[in-house]
Amino acid sequence: MNVQTPTDLDLTACEREPIHIPGSIQPHGILLAVRLPDRTITYASVNTAALFGLDPTAVLGRPFGQVLPVLARAFEADLAEPGSEGEARYLRAVTLQTAAGERAFDAALSRAGDHAVLELEEIPGNAVASLDALYPTLRRFVDQLRTTTTIDGLCRVAAEDIRGLTGFDRVLVYRFDDQWNGTVIAEDRNDNLPSYLDLRFPASDIPAQARELYRRNRLRIIPDANYTPVPIESHDSAPLDLSDSVLRSVSPVHLEYMRNMGTMASMSISILREGALWGLISCHNKDPRRVSLQVRNACDFLTQIFSLQLEARENTILAENRIRLRSVQAQLLAHMAAEDAFIDGLLKHPSELMRLAGAEGAAIVSGDHCWRMGETPSESEVQALLAWLSRHHKEDVFATDALAQHFPAAEAYADKASGLLAISISKRHASYVLWFRPEVLQTVKWGGDPSKPVREVAGAQRLHPRRSFEIWKETVRGRALAWDASEIEAVKELRTALVGIVLRRAEELAELSSELQRSNKELEAFSYSVSHDLRAPFRHIVGYSELLKKQEADHLSERGRRYVDTIIESAYTAGTLVDNLLSFSQMGRTSLKPRRVDMRQLVDEVRQRLAMDVGERRIVWQIGDLPAAVADPVMIRLVFENLLSNAVKYTRPRDNARIEIGAARGDGETVFFVRDNGVGFDMAYVGKLFGVFQRLHRMEEFEGTGIGLANVRRIVERHGGRTWAEGALDRGATFYFSLPDIEGAA
Amino acid sequence: MPELKPILLVEDNPKDIELTLAALEQSQLANEVVVVRDGAEALDFLYRRGPHESRNTSDPAVVLLDLKLPKIDGLEVLEKVKADPVLRHTPVVMLTSSREESDVVRSYELGVNAFVVKPVGFREFFDAIQDVGVFWAILNEPPPRNGR
Repeated sequence: MNVQTPTDLDLTACEREPIHIPGSIQPHGILLAVRLPDRTITYASVNTAALFGLDPTAVLGRPFGQVLPVLARAFEADLAEPGSEGEARYLRAVTLQTAAGERAFDAALSRAGDHAVLELEEIPGNAVASLDALYPTLRRFVDQLRTTTTIDGLCRVAAEDIRGLTGFDRVLVYRFDDQWNGTVIAEDRNDNLPSYLDLRFPASDIPAQARELYRRNRLRIIPDANYTPVPIESHDSAPLDLSDSVLRSVSPVHLEYMRNMGTMASMSISILREGALWGLISCHNKDPRRVSLQVRNACDFLTQIFSLQLEARENTILAENRIRLRSVQAQLLAHMAAEDAFIDGLLKHPSELMRLAGAEGAAIVSGDHCWRMGETPSESEVQALLAWLSRHHKEDVFATDALAQHFPAAEAYADKASGLLAISISKRHASYVLWFRPEVLQTVKWGGDPSKPVREVAGAQRLHPRRSFEIWKETVRGRALAWDASEIEAVKELRTALVGIVLRRAEELAELSSELQRSNKELEAFSYSVSHDLRAPFRHIVGYSELLKKQEADHLSERGRRYVDTIIESAYTAGTLVDNLLSFSQMGRTSLKPRRVDMRQLVDEVRQRLAMDVGERRIVWQIGDLPAAVADPVMIRLVFENLLSNAVKYTRPRDNARIEIGAARGDGETVFFVRDNGVGFDMAYVGKLFGVFQRLHRMEEFEGTGIGLANVRRIVERHGGRTWAEGALDRGATFYFSLPDIEGAA
Repeated sequence: MPELKPILLVEDNPKDIELTLAALEQSQLANEVVVVRDGAEALDFLYRRGPHESRNTSDPAVVLLDLKLPKIDGLEVLEKVKADPVLRHTPVVMLTSSREESDVVRSYELGVNAFVVKPVGFREFFDAIQDVGVFWAILNEPPPRNGR
């Protein structure tokens, strides 16, 4: 016979302890495992034989129906029920003839592979008689839960009622954080045990595989921490899986933990939220204490109601937050829609943007631009943070309440940004919106030093749970209030909206640019037809008028000849206008062919071409140093032609005309100027100077179509430069244009 | 003195024809001016086809070719002329209203001999017409011809 006893466990790592197959049970009941295919008993706790005064071998291998005929029907009925796998189910109360006489038992059934596990627990003498007795308590509890609005309130009610049902000295509601540390958030107790309210317990107190068992098997009880485990015997060498057992023997480490804590009995009920472990209702007693299976079932039921209520409350709070944030979001979207550049909608309403995430500061980063509002790290710090973020967190939304733990450099500005919530709008253009929360100094009261959850016994390779549960205060730094689900959701939605806007803008831009291309093409076609169709009639008018004047002069009166001259002049002007307009449009359409231009030589050539216009006039030319430039030579020649011919034209009334041409190196550009001492202009009209067909002088004074300076501006702007002018009426004028420096050319 | 070759004017606009003729007249060229009204007729003349099958005039000293023409446009006529091993020696001057760069570039690509944008001013127009007329009709020595 192979007697399964708890092995001498190596406890160096609690995490590895196979607690689901301890090979033994607690002594307050018996366990029988029935092999389902043939309904024979294959496992039995060794106390079975003693209880019934039987030889253990008389139990193993025998059909279940023969050993416990009184339970056979309930047993079969339960197995026949669909979904009977999983947690232990209360079968019924049963009175059995034992070696010590008639005893009442609660029977529970669970499954382990192809075995049904039957557990019989003797009903304690102090136990309530039936479910009827529990009913008023349950009803009162549900009523109270309904009228309690806060989560803290709900937890308090749960602690009080569980204590009322079970009579434990202390009942705690214990909540896990995201690192599985647990904090006591509610408590009900008498003076037998100290208060643990607000204490935090490190994750190692309840290792991962224990948490998994808690999730699966919602209620555990240890009536006496000093119990002697009862081995399970079997002819089978494979250990029986006791995951769903109610009597499962617990880890010696846990028993030691209990003893160290000063609690001889404990019971815990899991609080599950959407299938995950949310917390525990943890009951302790100074002295050993048994709670009947019926009451435990009632506690489990009550806890399930509690966790549903909890979920409802939390969802209500979340929904309220959601509604509140949604209205902030709607405002932001309206602001964005009202602006040409949607980002302005956010920038102009910083308080709403920050309110959306409940942040104290925010930053919007787009390409090289960084706008900050509220309490934020410096711009360079934000940029560095973003560089890290874009490298290591490619997710659309990133949230942390302890930034420095991820990004140590953030420690420097923990007071501003311990909490970070970030959304990426466009990865290609490095567009992000960031929200910041400041550090909140927290004092955590640990139930014992969390860095020493276990103590090592000198010389032995065994670890024991700590003995001290004294309050150990820790000041937590670098932590902000955590972002809640509604806030994360709100920024996620903002992100969706922003991405939508960005995409739509991109589409609109693409559309606009194809529209532009089309209208450019149309303009080209238009100007082509203008050049052919509009020019020709003017040419004909001039041509025929000239012929008339020349060949028919004899038939014309003096007045008639003047009329003809006027016709010629007008048609000529109109034709020239068309020509100028075309050249202006061409200036905008033809592509630049920049190369290095010797400006001094170019100016000299232009000056020579103007010799005709100058005629007999005396003009003093002052030409300073003109650095070479990189520009389209044909176009830049036009610039000087226009500026110089203007200077020549507008100095006509001067006896001592002086025209000065020079250049000055500026910041990243070269500024050229043409200055004259001509008739000048009123600075009031300086804004009109470079417009198309803008003239500041009457035709009789100075001829021209008013396109020259418009061409100058267009050409210079196409080179990336600027144009401006200074002047005073009758005091001359100076025209400036700049050309940006081009790398590799100087 | 070599035989005077005609000047071929390819122009569809009657006003332009009249003005061009007036300008050529004033330059007192003795050359005959043959006027055709579209590109197809220009090619007929040059290739002695259709109504020009039995012309007894010499090949033109110069072709003054408008760009925009009915049926076959000026660029196409130019292309045909310049692609023909015999005709390609005939000087072609594009006479046009267009200042469009693409026309100019295309014309030069096709081997035009000169490109004159008809100026608005009549005097300039006269000067231009006379210049091209005189230059191509009188001064320009045609390359030696083999055949015909």
